[in-house]
Amino acid sequence: MFLRSAPGKFFLLVLLLLIAVAGLQAQDTTLTFISWQVDEPGVGDWWRSAIEEFESTHDGVTIDFTKVARPEYADTFLTLFAGGTPPDIVHLAAFEFQQFADAGWMEDLAPWVENSDLDLEGWAGQVKCMWEGEMSCIMLLYFGFVMVVNDAILDSIGMEAPTNWEEMLAVLRAATQDTDGDGIVDQWGICHHTNEGSQYASQLLSYVVGSGAYWTSAEGEVTIDTPEMAEGFSRWKTIFDEGLSPLDLSSGDCHQLMMEGKLATRMEGSWVYNFVRRAEPEVQQHLRIVPVPFEVPVGGGSNVIGMASEISDERKQLVWDFIEIITSQEWQEQFGVNVGNPAPRPGTLTDAIYEAVPHVDILVASQTTASDNGIDRSPTGLQIVYNEFSKLVRNEAQRMIADDADPAAVVADLHNLAVELQQDM
Amino acid sequence: MTSQSFGQGEPALRRLNGVSPRWSLWQPGNRQLFAYLLLLPAVLLTAAIIVYPILSAIDLSFQRIKIAKLGRERAPLTLRNYEELFQSPEFFQAIWVTISLVATVTLLSYVIGLATAVMVNQQFRGRKLARILVAVPWAVPSVMAAIIWWWLFDSSFGLINWALVRSGLSGEMIPWLSTPGAATFVIVIVMVWKGYPFISVIMLAGLQSIPLELYDAAKVDGASAWGRFRFITLPGLRSVRGIALILIMLWVFRDFPIIYLLTGGGPQGTTQTLAIMTYQEAFKFHDFGYAAAIGVITLIISVVASWFMVRRSDEPLF
Amino acid sequence: MARSRTETVILYAVVISVIVILVFPLYWMFNTSLAPSTQLRRFPPVFIQPEPTFAAYERIFNERPVGLWLRNSALVALASTALSMFVSILAGYSISRIRARGSQAIGLFFLMSRMLPSTLIIIPLFVSFRQFQLIGDLKSLVLAHATFITPFAVWMLKGYFDTIPSELEDAAMIDGCTPLSALLRVVLPLSAPGLAATTLYGFVLSWNDFVFARTFLVANQDAWTVNVGVASLKGEYLTEWNEIMAGSLIAMLPIVLAYLFLERFLVSGLTAGSSK
Repeated sequence: MFLRSAPGKFFLLVLLLLIAVAGLQAQDTTLTFISWQVDEPGVGDWWRSAIEEFESTHDGVTIDFTKVARPEYADTFLTLFAGGTPPDIVHLAAFEFQQFADAGWMEDLAPWVENSDLDLEGWAGQVKCMWEGEMSCIMLLYFGFVMVVNDAILDSIGMEAPTNWEEMLAVLRAATQDTDGDGIVDQWGICHHTNEGSQYASQLLSYVVGSGAYWTSAEGEVTIDTPEMAEGFSRWKTIFDEGLSPLDLSSGDCHQLMMEGKLATRMEGSWVYNFVRRAEPEVQQHLRIVPVPFEVPVGGGSNVIGMASEISDERKQLVWDFIEIITSQEWQEQFGVNVGNPAPRPGTLTDAIYEAVPHVDILVASQTTASDNGIDRSPTGLQIVYNEFSKLVRNEAQRMIADDADPAAVVADLHNLAVELQQDM
Repeated sequence: MTSQSFGQGEPALRRLNGVSPRWSLWQPGNRQLFAYLLLLPAVLLTAAIIVYPILSAIDLSFQRIKIAKLGRERAPLTLRNYEELFQSPEFFQAIWVTISLVATVTLLSYVIGLATAVMVNQQFRGRKLARILVAVPWAVPSVMAAIIWWWLFDSSFGLINWALVRSGLSGEMIPWLSTPGAATFVIVIVMVWKGYPFISVIMLAGLQSIPLELYDAAKVDGASAWGRFRFITLPGLRSVRGIALILIMLWVFRDFPIIYLLTGGGPQGTTQTLAIMTYQEAFKFHDFGYAAAIGVITLIISVVASWFMVRRSDEPLF
Repeated sequence: MARSRTETVILYAVVISVIVILVFPLYWMFNTSLAPSTQLRRFPPVFIQPEPTFAAYERIFNERPVGLWLRNSALVALASTALSMFVSILAGYSISRIRARGSQAIGLFFLMSRMLPSTLIIIPLFVSFRQFQLIGDLKSLVLAHATFITPFAVWMLKGYFDTIPSELEDAAMIDGCTPLSALLRVVLPLSAPGLAATTLYGFVLSWNDFVFARTFLVANQDAWTVNVGVASLKGEYLTEWNEIMAGSLIAMLPIVLAYLFLERFLVSGLTAGSSK
């Protein structure tokens, strides 16, 4: 009776529409893929073309490629995972995936690799993806720091690209100048971005490993209270005491300054080349990539890809298909050209990459040295508390600069705090 | 629309209408029921969104839980989170930072809000425009307020550092956001800029409710401008002062985006309020039980403080 | 009140300088948004752009779905304000007219709910919204915003209703009105300024939110509000202050316009409420 009445018919119609809509949705699958690299020059384009390739071979499946900015990235992922709505394709920095793997949120990829043609023998940095005996991810980029120098500035102060700390300090001091005479410095020796949370520690790390120190031993024991570490901290303090780097900037500001030709040097991972390539020609012609002036550079894993453990098997298969595409020989070769860094897959150093990235040998040497010395931004034994650890480093280093404290005393304090943190784990 | 249409679905009311054509609000039994019916939607909405999260946060604060996950197993009840909290210097620093920030921002916002309200309450041409401009920062979202001031206070390229150095007030560029003290100063400035306009608007409303005859009478009696302000204006604002202060204090107490975007609580915890600390512990350090304990303490502090203020305020709030 | 010439000059000097100081940050934002990128890391600063460029605006509009963000923010603000106005009018009327047992306590309950640290409730709220499939949906935001608009809206409206003599409703009810139609036909028309002020307040509160919007909507780009969108401009690769400022300006323009339009009600809406 009810269905014959006007409201009844309306009700039926709405119901049918709902069913139709639900049916339509069931046919279309959308994989969510959140990344901070959507707008990043180079790698962003590589991701988009890989997604196109995947979609063209998978009818009715689309990938939703969404950007979340780096400062709020881990918070957002935590909310999504904790709320039970993880992204299907899990893209994380190499220093943060451990926390997610530890919560059991990352699928063990070992069985998937076994059932495929993917050979991870010799895959750069893949060992970093092992967590508690499981293969939580696949390493997407393994890097070593390099230095960009501006030859125009070096020529103007009559110096060469530095090859050790003493030379570097001399270059920084000579290059930091007030070029237009208004009483305000407008050209710097170097730029360190210090206002982005955990990145403070990785900026400081250059001077730490450059002095022969490191946060922990290979066994995960804290090794901060050493003369070498104090030397590293003291070099960092010198940079800021003497104003050799501009203050409180984000990495975005540092890139801009470099591209505007206002920096003599900049130390960063291989991706810095994508900003060099984007500079105006009159500046770009002076920018050159050289090895960092230290025996050991900062390096290690940059970012990883994996899949959420809670999604359905069909979706897992689709995610794996996507991973297979991006780890294939063809796409890894393309990665090197787009990103300006050798891909982790062995045998991808083709002529094309040498043409696109003339300094590729410097990159390979840098990442090999970092790897041989066991360097990573997230140190063994503190990985799971890396955010807290990097906050401690930042606090102590800022205190050292603001209070003009003795680096030896600061590293001793930091050592104790890190040990305490490790015991609380 | 007929008057009956509103009675539908509310049998109690219809019955009441039936009893007497002149339904009276003043029948004690009916009035109570009617009052509750009217309150019901608001109470339901608030309770649905608020009560479950509070209970679940309280529950969480008594468990050692690293990451609060949907459908997780319960951990045993424990007081460890609270014990740790009360032994942590960082927690007491956060309480101190929060209280001093609330006090400073409230005081400054109050003074500036009152001064601007008195200013635009004067008779002058262009007063309407002045009123609009004085309160316009109120409409600026916190995120944008933080971004604007971030740029002004930028340590390397900001206008303020340039002005200080050029005018000789400072010999060098000041690293605003990485120096303790300076960072607090920036936070206070941004919060006051965002916070005073609302006080100003409420105060202006209060000022307009003071009868002009009082001022005229006082003038005849020879009272000075200060005397008129002291004995007419200030007492006349008594009724709005309480709510203005409570609202601004609660806002500073809870604010998140301004501090989060500008300093994230640094340097060395000098701008880390309880709200920021809660967030850091939960979302950065993945310690949800501990974070929930901080949140619960925050809640207790704010409830006690506002209870105290509500009791002290001269006019009942409700 | 007559004023001497000097007094007038001083008054204008004070008014103008105070306003210039308070509004300058907004001007600086506008000025930066019109600057070419090359000017941003250079001194001396340019106070008036000799050749203003809208390039930053063009880039923002071409590269980002700004229109969509604005639409989402407006939808959420409208819906959450409407919802909370509906419940607040009823509740405010109840507390104002009928001092039922416990209504004071309920009033305080509303106030308390305003004190919750949002960082405390965001995860449990996320979990419950997820159970109702509301994550990534603007409805989640509408509900959350309505909840935090309601407490103050109830207070504001209650204050306003207090100023309207209840004799008017009594008279209407003698003519056969039910209490609800008396509220609708007598009290609400008389409360127009109070309603406008409360609506504006709700709108501003909703437009202001960042934390809830980011948490609930982050994975669904089509549902981003303008605050979430603009915050994403401050990425880490390049810091283009002119684009960030252009985006921020666009983001706050609607709410500032609403404020300019409704400002006159704001004070009068509160006046009545405060002069009880």
